[in-house]
Amino acid sequence: MISVLAIGSVLVTSLVIGVYGVRAARSTSDFLVASQRVSPSWNAMAIAGEYLSAASVLGLAGLVLKNGLGTMWYAVGFAAGYVAVVALVAGPMRRSGAFTVPDFAEYRLGAPRLRQLCGCVVLVIMLLYLVPQFKGAGVVLSLVSGTPYWVGVLLAGLVVSGSIAAGGMRSATYVQAFHYVIKLTFLAIPAIYLVVYSSPDTRAQALHPEWGTHFPEPTPVEFTVGARFSLDEPVTVTTPSGAEVGLTAGDHSVTAGTEYVFPEGAPIPYPAGLPELGGQLWSTPLLDVGGYPLFETWSALLAITLGCMGLPHVIMRFHTSPTARTARRVAVGVIGLLGLFYLFPTVYGLLGRVLTPQLVLLQGTDTVAVVLPAEAVPGTAGAVLTALVAAGAFGAFLSTSSGLLLALAGGLSHDLFQGSVPRLRLAVAIGACVAVLLALPARTIDINVLVVWAFTVAASTFCPLLVLGIWWRRLTLAGAASGLTVGVVTATGAVGWSILLPTPPGWIAVLLAQPAAWTIPLAFTTMIVVSWFTRAPDWAEHAVLRLHSP
Amino acid sequence: MSPRREKLTSPQTRIALARGNRPAQHLLPIPGPVDTEAARRLFRTQRRTAVRTVAALAVLLFGMSGAFAALPVLGEIRLFGVPLSWLLLTVAVHPMLFLMALWHVRSAERVEERAEAERPAGERPAGERER
Repeated sequence: MISVLAIGSVLVTSLVIGVYGVRAARSTSDFLVASQRVSPSWNAMAIAGEYLSAASVLGLAGLVLKNGLGTMWYAVGFAAGYVAVVALVAGPMRRSGAFTVPDFAEYRLGAPRLRQLCGCVVLVIMLLYLVPQFKGAGVVLSLVSGTPYWVGVLLAGLVVSGSIAAGGMRSATYVQAFHYVIKLTFLAIPAIYLVVYSSPDTRAQALHPEWGTHFPEPTPVEFTVGARFSLDEPVTVTTPSGAEVGLTAGDHSVTAGTEYVFPEGAPIPYPAGLPELGGQLWSTPLLDVGGYPLFETWSALLAITLGCMGLPHVIMRFHTSPTARTARRVAVGVIGLLGLFYLFPTVYGLLGRVLTPQLVLLQGTDTVAVVLPAEAVPGTAGAVLTALVAAGAFGAFLSTSSGLLLALAGGLSHDLFQGSVPRLRLAVAIGACVAVLLALPARTIDINVLVVWAFTVAASTFCPLLVLGIWWRRLTLAGAASGLTVGVVTATGAVGWSILLPTPPGWIAVLLAQPAAWTIPLAFTTMIVVSWFTRAPDWAEHAVLRLHSP
Repeated sequence: MSPRREKLTSPQTRIALARGNRPAQHLLPIPGPVDTEAARRLFRTQRRTAVRTVAALAVLLFGMSGAFAALPVLGEIRLFGVPLSWLLLTVAVHPMLFLMALWHVRSAERVEERAEAERPAGERPAGERER
């Protein structure tokens, strides 16, 4: 109940700030010029607030619990992406005067038809990014209020499209900045409380995964989905009717609806295909799903670091700075704020392995940050802490998804169909519907898998377009178009295949699941080679030089 | 000096414009820089700075993950009870990224200031400021 209240108050406060911010903006002659007077620190907070999505607030802690410390490379990539942004695109993008990547493509290559191709890519990226946000909202809502998953997803879709229709959610920098503060404090306070008040024994276990993972108390595990898992030693579990079932060491599979109570001190079974909780693989800080840890880590790092600069809602934000110089400085501030935030997800993951290991079996690790406080701290204090995290997660979902949905709707109506303003509203509704429909069957897919997919597509399409467009005067229209096509097809296809279809084992599975290491070079090479064979117009050099003149 | 007021259109206006009745290449022609040679020099210097920062970033990220793979001992050394590799990955890397970005911004701004100082005062049309 407290959680529902906390989520409600975050929602109401954002609406109030949004409405107030919009009114203040309308009093000046031009809304966009007004937003350019926002001070750099507020602006940095707003960017960080929009950037920290459900993937960071919920997904990272869950991944640390499930796959181990190596998944914190995702957080490093999210922050390192802004270093690449500062170095490669922030200043020139601001000087180009282009609001979106399609705008930039038109500025730099002078072809309105490239705009439609870019619009399609924006659509793919934004949908891939939006679905996990809705998934996060559905999971959190069903946890704190007991409603079915689909109700949460549907409600989330309604809330976000409604708040955009009401106007102002996106427009007010202060709403986004407010959400950063919410996310940071609501994740940090429970984390610090948990570290300080958990027993020294728990803390020591969290830092020594090699001692093994055991159920801390008799734990009922209800399999809502069918699962396969392995045990290292035999365990005797009880069913709700009181019967004792002896599970031998080795592989077991259970059907959906089975309920077992594991006794205190029993070793945690680990689902098939996952590293042993707390084992060598788990505690080595490298990403390792398919057996090639260094390759997987590097590929994921490439995808996230380079994907960041291609995210449409990230690019748009540079225009809230008055000059190119301020835009760069703001991006540096964002790195600082992200670094501060990323100190906390690890705490939930490490403590979650000790206190709530059953989440791994239930395929519900994305919920660890919400479940953990109530598990660890009994009574009212636990409920309050859970409410804080739930509200923070909801703030994450709200700010990111409204920004994403607006970018998606803008792409639909502006770049693809040359629509008018009423069509923009329609596009918001269509975008939300599609995202909700896609989020409904996505319950068991990890938030971060989907988010990294979006980053991979962005890194294989818009990253080469922007980097070559800004730093290489010989890029041509034909080169850009063919590179974009190759990038979007290979990146979307490879990850989609690895998630939806069975993959052959070994190298191929790894190459499909983490394709960035080959799709990004492929897209760059295509752009460069095709550009070599075509001629850039005479004004191309001026267009490039202008991006770098102070 | 106070920043000049810029003429920007709202998204609605852009949508209205996109509906039609306008020349295809509305963003062009782009006015050429006053001194093309100086602009080229500036561009090359900025590109060097950018390449340097991206290279440093690559060394940090790939080097650190490579070190975790090559030296398992990093997971056994403990600082304040926490394995060193965990500390590096979850805490220490963030200040390093921040300093790297700060270093790039300082260098890029210094390059721009030098370019401004080298430019003769009279050659600069007022309208060219800060686009």
